[in-house]
Amino acid sequence: MASLSSRPRKRRGSGVSQWELAWRRLKMNKAALAGLVIVGVIGVMALLDRLIALYPPNCNVGTNPNCPNPGPKPDVWAIGIPPSWSFPFGTNLAGQDVYSQIVYGARAAFLVGIGATAIALAIATLIGLVAGYFGGWVDNVLMRLTEVVLVLPFFLILLVFLRILFTLSPGASGGLLVIILVIGAFSWPGPARIIRGEVLRVREFEYIVASRQIGASGFRILFRHLFPNTLHIIIVLSTLQIAGSILTEAAVSFLGFGDPNSITWGRQLADASEAVKQAWWAGLAPGIFITLLVMGFNLLGNGLRDALDPRLRE
Amino acid sequence: MLGGRRYGPAPSDSRWFWVRNSEPGVLCLVSLVKYVVRRSLYLIPVFLGITLLVFSIERLAGDPVQIATFGNTHITEEQRQKIRQYYGLDKPVYLQYLHWLSELLVLNLGDSFSGGSVSNLVGQGILATLELQLLGLFLSLVIAIPIGIYSAKRRYSVLDVTLSSSALVGTSIPISFMGIAFILIFGYYLNLFPSGGAQSTIQSQYLYGNVFLDQLWHLTLPTLVYTFAILAPIVLLVRSSMLEVLRQDYILAARASGLGDRAILYKHALRNALIPIVTYVGLYFGGLLAGAPVTETVFNWPGVGALFVVKTNVLDFPVIQGVVVLITLMTLVANLVTDLTYAYIDPRIRID
Repeated sequence: MASLSSRPRKRRGSGVSQWELAWRRLKMNKAALAGLVIVGVIGVMALLDRLIALYPPNCNVGTNPNCPNPGPKPDVWAIGIPPSWSFPFGTNLAGQDVYSQIVYGARAAFLVGIGATAIALAIATLIGLVAGYFGGWVDNVLMRLTEVVLVLPFFLILLVFLRILFTLSPGASGGLLVIILVIGAFSWPGPARIIRGEVLRVREFEYIVASRQIGASGFRILFRHLFPNTLHIIIVLSTLQIAGSILTEAAVSFLGFGDPNSITWGRQLADASEAVKQAWWAGLAPGIFITLLVMGFNLLGNGLRDALDPRLRE
Repeated sequence: MLGGRRYGPAPSDSRWFWVRNSEPGVLCLVSLVKYVVRRSLYLIPVFLGITLLVFSIERLAGDPVQIATFGNTHITEEQRQKIRQYYGLDKPVYLQYLHWLSELLVLNLGDSFSGGSVSNLVGQGILATLELQLLGLFLSLVIAIPIGIYSAKRRYSVLDVTLSSSALVGTSIPISFMGIAFILIFGYYLNLFPSGGAQSTIQSQYLYGNVFLDQLWHLTLPTLVYTFAILAPIVLLVRSSMLEVLRQDYILAARASGLGDRAILYKHALRNALIPIVTYVGLYFGGLLAGAPVTETVFNWPGVGALFVVKTNVLDFPVIQGVVVLITLMTLVANLVTDLTYAYIDPRIRID
């Protein structure tokens, strides 16, 4: 959001920009601000991970010199300890500090959410703009393609891709990247249709007709006029897509198809669920954090929609 | 094609047979049949494209037998070759595709790598899946629509804020988390419901000694979780679409003409507000067969979703292909039906 609010200051001349107006509306919206705070706090957590975590990643407390055991019995593995002062969210059955693992998982959540969304929205924007602006057979071909991808059961195909990948290379270090790529590659059709719809609406406006009259190229109209005027929809769709991608990763990991080599909240939830009767706290924390972050992005997305939608403007 | 054509006077042409001539849903039998036929014809290339895509997924990664048995040291190359021959995987790829496609037309999905025909495997899961899905959908619609209407009617009231914020939390909770929590609380600590499966394994464990009651007992928790999971987005959808409709001019006109709130809300606003719900339910039906992989896995429910997860884990490609293709086919049909329902509900949409 900082980039949005700092933009108007660089402007020449006086008056209030549309972004400034949107930011003012967003500031009035308590729910959206709450979402912004949640996303911000977890974002800081993801950035600082090693500084605020109590233990190194995947450290079985008490088993090696890097993982000192703060408890009274230093020789005993810290397995399944309920929440306490030394372990704010307890430890799981592998003897890891749940709080530290949550902190490391935040980065993966942001990576998956933002990475997958960047890919999906980039494809969606390109297809939506081109199909909506050029119309005719271009539109026809692109929209048929969109329909085909939309009809495919994306979640099931994601599972198949991941299983093939991890069967062929069990130690795949780029597992998270594959999750990001596949989610991104399959979740563009919905946004693409919405963006196309908006382009169809915007391209009938007088200023587009006018710029065509004075001889602007199609490329220029697309990227100088249509793109900025669909940006508000792209921003809203992005926030909601981030939330959806994080949930998808959680589901994939839960079913055991996640990346075995990275720390994600989804996998923590899945691991904890196998021994939920012995250590429920190990599953509670990742569950709550996934819910919080997804809710934060959802709240922010809804707030942005209200703030940016020109049809609701006074 | 469906278009945004305005609702106008009925054409007086004698070729038109009115199926239903009352107010909004003006459908004409001849044009309806024409429309369905045209749309179905147009579905064929889309469907072919999808089969090609699904078929190539496994081939893109290489030889399916090689992948499915990857790292298995007990299998010799000779045995792999035999497996290939048995499943026809030694033939050229385009012949495999054509064979698979032609068998698909008679709903023969081939044999699973672990034995047994895919159609049978899927058939066994379908009932369990439909049971869970339809019950969940029904319950969530029955609960969500009144809540959504109420929230829109009393916007920003305490109850509206409570309901819509809990709906927002509901859309953000991972379904696996909710499932585990339910199992832990109701199954383990309170010991009210079984924590998984569709029915007790031995007869003496049946609830009151009755199979039906026992199945219902097992159905409760998965249905609850599943209902909550799909309930929340419907509440938000009904609320926002109702608010959108209530802003329209024709509602103002109705109010100006002295209609009561109740009549405006239920007779005039609701019908139009339901259009997005129809889309939602239509999309939902499309994915119905996919089951709810996560819910079914959490509760060990013997449906298609759980089957798919299990079979994908061992890369049983015939099952994977079969399930994916069945789902896409169903989605295509569901989309067609959804479009037809639009024309029925929305007076502004006409079929030409």
